[in-house]
Amino acid sequence: MTGRFVLIGTTVLRSAFLVLGMAVLIFFLVRIIPGDVVDLVSIEGGLTEEAQQQLRQELGLDRSKPEQLLIWLTNMAEGDLGLSVRFQRPVADLVTRALPTTLALASLSFVIGLALAIGIAVAAVIWPRSAFPALVNAVNVWSIAMPTFCAGILGILLFVLWLGWMPLLGNMVLPSLIIGLDVAGQIVKPLHEDLKEAATAPYIRTAHAKGLDRATIVWRHILPNSLSVVIALSGLIATGLVGGTITMEVLFGLPGIGKLALDSVLGRDYPTIQAVAVLLAGSVVAINAVMGIVARLFDPKLKT
Amino acid sequence: MHGNALVDKIADSTPDTLSVAATPPTEASVRDDAKARVPFSLRGLGRTLLTVLPLAVVVFALLVAILGPTLGGLDPFEQDLLQRNKGPSAAYPLGTDHLGRDVLARLIVGTRLSLEAGLGGVLVALSLGGLLGFAASVAGGAAETAFYAFVDLIRAMPGVLLALLLVVALGAGLGPVTVALGVTFAPIFAYVARATYRRELAMDYVTAAESFGASGWRILMTHILPNVSGAFVTQGAIVLPRCIVTESVLSFLGLGVEPDTPTWGRMIAQASQFIERNPTAVLAPVIALSLLTISLALLGDRLRRRLDPRRIDEGAAA
Repeated sequence: MTGRFVLIGTTVLRSAFLVLGMAVLIFFLVRIIPGDVVDLVSIEGGLTEEAQQQLRQELGLDRSKPEQLLIWLTNMAEGDLGLSVRFQRPVADLVTRALPTTLALASLSFVIGLALAIGIAVAAVIWPRSAFPALVNAVNVWSIAMPTFCAGILGILLFVLWLGWMPLLGNMVLPSLIIGLDVAGQIVKPLHEDLKEAATAPYIRTAHAKGLDRATIVWRHILPNSLSVVIALSGLIATGLVGGTITMEVLFGLPGIGKLALDSVLGRDYPTIQAVAVLLAGSVVAINAVMGIVARLFDPKLKT
Repeated sequence: MHGNALVDKIADSTPDTLSVAATPPTEASVRDDAKARVPFSLRGLGRTLLTVLPLAVVVFALLVAILGPTLGGLDPFEQDLLQRNKGPSAAYPLGTDHLGRDVLARLIVGTRLSLEAGLGGVLVALSLGGLLGFAASVAGGAAETAFYAFVDLIRAMPGVLLALLLVVALGAGLGPVTVALGVTFAPIFAYVARATYRRELAMDYVTAAESFGASGWRILMTHILPNVSGAFVTQGAIVLPRCIVTESVLSFLGLGVEPDTPTWGRMIAQASQFIERNPTAVLAPVIALSLLTISLALLGDRLRRRLDPRRIDEGAAA
């Protein structure tokens, strides 16, 4: 029992340090960006020199960099994400409004991707002489050859404009299918390899000898042992989801975190960029941490 | 795969009964026998095509990139405002975009930019990650730990997000984009540096060099580097298509190179707003991008299997 707590504790601690490091990295990256938000606002609104100074003072932009970093980190720890100058509202507000869209898109894509990958890989193992093994390669090649934004445009052309099956704006199905297919393409091949290898294990021969049918053997005996492959690839899945949601939200006009990230980057909106970047990077770390813990707790091969 | 080769040989030279008798009739060997009996195998042809076709695409793209802009008669910036969003015609083989610019001319210039950004990004990533990785590995101790903690940090960031922040921080232009791509993909090469350095360090020839009193750097430069360059070339080939894709995503999002530059990503972003009226202007760069990406990926995969049978998993799982 204590082993589990130690495991969870160290994973959480490690992840926390990773996120902290990312936050510092993001902070300084954002600070290299030439020109600040006051410059941008004053170009549009014609602020006087004095008003600019005052705004900088209000935003704390006149303080030293380490000081700004410290203030930002403590505020974040207290749940205060700061004020977006660009959108004239608290960053937390912007994030909470954008979050549901992105969460829906990401989880839908995740489910589709996992279902596709597992379905195709399992089918390819059960029926090795069918078209399924070729499908494994096809899906894999697709995800290499077709960046999600290109697939998105092809999808729009085909399903929205030519076939007229779905609307363009606010469409959730098409982007999730595209991201899902992309994610599936990245994990289906390693999963298939592992399933094939697991199928040659002695206990599988025993199961065959017992007279179990192929489907039962794959579902009950082979697949659970390949859980660790999916979990080991969770980093790939998570970054795929993040990258995919950014481009898909922009393409389909979905008001999510990815769109917010791009808008704030283009608008030099420090507080928003920082918060959103930390959120996106942090969620990848969190997914990895959770998957790592799940793997250690449930996979007999990884139990220490 | 020793066994398979043996089975093939037996199947070629002797009647079938013998080959079956020579090896236990497992499912695999029976299948291999069946394959070996077909003198002209479809699988072999497919495998050859999978190398030749991508190679042809890449060579063609390189020729276009090198020779295309010098051919003359093609102006990617000239606007023919009376011929906006037109489909393919004799004057414009791939039609025109929303400002009446020649899509083919822009595609050709874009080919060069994609390859420049991609190759440049790989070179920066390779030299940055490789050099620093080796330096940290030779130094060892706290320096190595600290360096790789930083590498882990960069590696854990979602690639598109990191590239996006970097390119905004560094400013517009091909140079900054190349550096941003290089930094984003540098961790992969840093891991390769560490993995290969450790592997080679355990070899007898390194121990021999050490016993002659060679320094760490000398051993690295004159003994280890020549032995591990294959791993770097392979990894570079694997990273190249991803660099090209990332550049196109950045351009698509409106970041990276200057707004006027006809990169494929920029062309796709602009033309996608008029996709209903003129799909060719979108399809041309989309097809060009995916064709180049898949060809480079297939070649990279071939190269990996040829040159580096020992997989470096840290680098491969990206």
